[in-house]
Amino acid sequence: MFHKLHHISYLFFLCAFLMVSCNAGSESDSAEEELVQRALEIHDRVLTVDTHADTPLRMIQPGFDMAERHDPKETGSKVDYPRMKEGGLDAIFFAAFVAQDIRDDDGNTRAKALCLQMIDSIVSSTQKNADIVGLALNPDDAYAIEKEGKRAIYIGIENGYPIGSDISNVAEYYEKGVRYITLVHSSNNDLADSATDPDGTEHGGISEFGAEVVKEMNRLGIMVDVSHGNDSVFYDAIELSKAPIIASHSNARAVTKHDRNMTDEMLQLMAKNGGVVQLTMLADYLRTAPPNPERDSAVAALRASMKPVSEMTPEERTALRESFQALNEKYPAPPATVKHVADHIDHIVKVAGIDHVGIGCDFDGGGGIEGVFDASEVMNITIELVRRGYTEEQIEKIWGGNLIRVFKEVQAVASEIQAAG
Amino acid sequence: MYSILYVMILLVEAATPAASASSHPLRLSLCEIEYTSKQQLMTINLKLFLTDVNEALVFDPYSKELAFCQPNESAKADQLLLDYLNKFFYVKTNGKKVELKIQRKKLSGEGDNTALWVYFEHKQGQSLTSLEIKNAVFTDLFFDQNNIVYAHINGKSKSLMLNKKTSAHQLTF
Repeated sequence: MFHKLHHISYLFFLCAFLMVSCNAGSESDSAEEELVQRALEIHDRVLTVDTHADTPLRMIQPGFDMAERHDPKETGSKVDYPRMKEGGLDAIFFAAFVAQDIRDDDGNTRAKALCLQMIDSIVSSTQKNADIVGLALNPDDAYAIEKEGKRAIYIGIENGYPIGSDISNVAEYYEKGVRYITLVHSSNNDLADSATDPDGTEHGGISEFGAEVVKEMNRLGIMVDVSHGNDSVFYDAIELSKAPIIASHSNARAVTKHDRNMTDEMLQLMAKNGGVVQLTMLADYLRTAPPNPERDSAVAALRASMKPVSEMTPEERTALRESFQALNEKYPAPPATVKHVADHIDHIVKVAGIDHVGIGCDFDGGGGIEGVFDASEVMNITIELVRRGYTEEQIEKIWGGNLIRVFKEVQAVASEIQAAG
Repeated sequence: MYSILYVMILLVEAATPAASASSHPLRLSLCEIEYTSKQQLMTINLKLFLTDVNEALVFDPYSKELAFCQPNESAKADQLLLDYLNKFFYVKTNGKKVELKIQRKKLSGEGDNTALWVYFEHKQGQSLTSLEIKNAVFTDLFFDQNNIVYAHINGKSKSLMLNKKTSAHQLTF
């Protein structure tokens, strides 16, 4: 998967290594080259699964073609099929996302229509590109599709809002290929409370209807995703779900204090539950943004020199905008890096164990950091894990083994429930 | 050999500021357009992050100068907002641009997540045969700004994503 020597990140490692080698030629450089090579080989061998990407939002961009390679610096696009191949990303869950809106019959009907449009976009993309990707419905499909040299595309729903108040919609989405549902997003809905709703808790966690939805998801074999839910949603899901649960894109709160991240107690309970927490590449969830005093001073000085906005000509506004942009480029925000990602993985492994952590980058939904900016750079996670001493067996679990295990258990529980009638 | 490698490193480093800038949260806005021929009324609602609005209008995301939806809202707030929107946003019905007149505004959320909702209405007497939307708001600020558009026309819903590269799209009925 890494025969493309033009790949920018791999090239960076290679160039950096060679430059240093020219100058120093030390043994440690040789060791670094060996480490990178070993990591890339491991990355190539293990199944790599990313459980969360909002790429369906790109699929509704007129003219956006998933089979073409896009420049991530152009519009921020993070995933397409060529870049998945470059990064050695074998499988991905594309999340059909519908923004929370009015919670009445009209709102629910519209949310369902929009959700179905997104799901149809995913399915038709896999059909159109059947030579390079395949629609995956079951856990083993990822391995089978990877064996064919293709990328496996799974479908999730981010935000249970499109279920509305009609429980039969859950089965309809399952039939369409949906294999996880994130119960709630950034605002409370009829199923559950959000971790980030400014109005606070509404149901005290999962609502009565949300509990029915969880039960139906268990019956069908859909993974229950607690990312975006408040803490009570997590505890309720652990209590209600007959199958292990997932957090498709969440980090560790002890490492980075954020309501979207999970406490150590939650991580331990996740381990007891048999579920998995999928690490996400959102900068604010990976580290507390460090201060940027040089930029702040320069911006304050520029603002102090401004004349009143209402007195500016359009040309003056344009020039001022360029001055601000120049400052942003001169003093960029200190980035989150792959080291922060590994810090979170280290912590979750310490608290919950190696069997309960995975990767859910949230590309095209805000995810993307220095070194893991888009799908073409995900191998840098593996390199950092190897650097920290993780074995191939452990990396295999992190990159997909754990998630696939949970997925299989969710299906096994569904079979039992259906057999029991 | 050395000079070639050095140039390559410089090229990679040149990409760093853009990469760092985009480690910010997702840059997104939402636009909802609703129309039923029975009512002959089109409503256009924009949901914009207030920090983005302030940055775009007065070059300061946390500025209190315009004080949208506050008792001390600046007399020039609406005009500045309209001037900006008219540059980066339009809706055309049957090929004709809708004149944007703010009907009302509201704030929701808190902190960095505070959203400014801006409501417009348009009387559409003739039957709607085409709807063209341009939504490039904040693409002058952020290269990775993306704007979701939900169109609900006579009971049928359609979603679109518009951005700097693809800023406008026409739907036909």
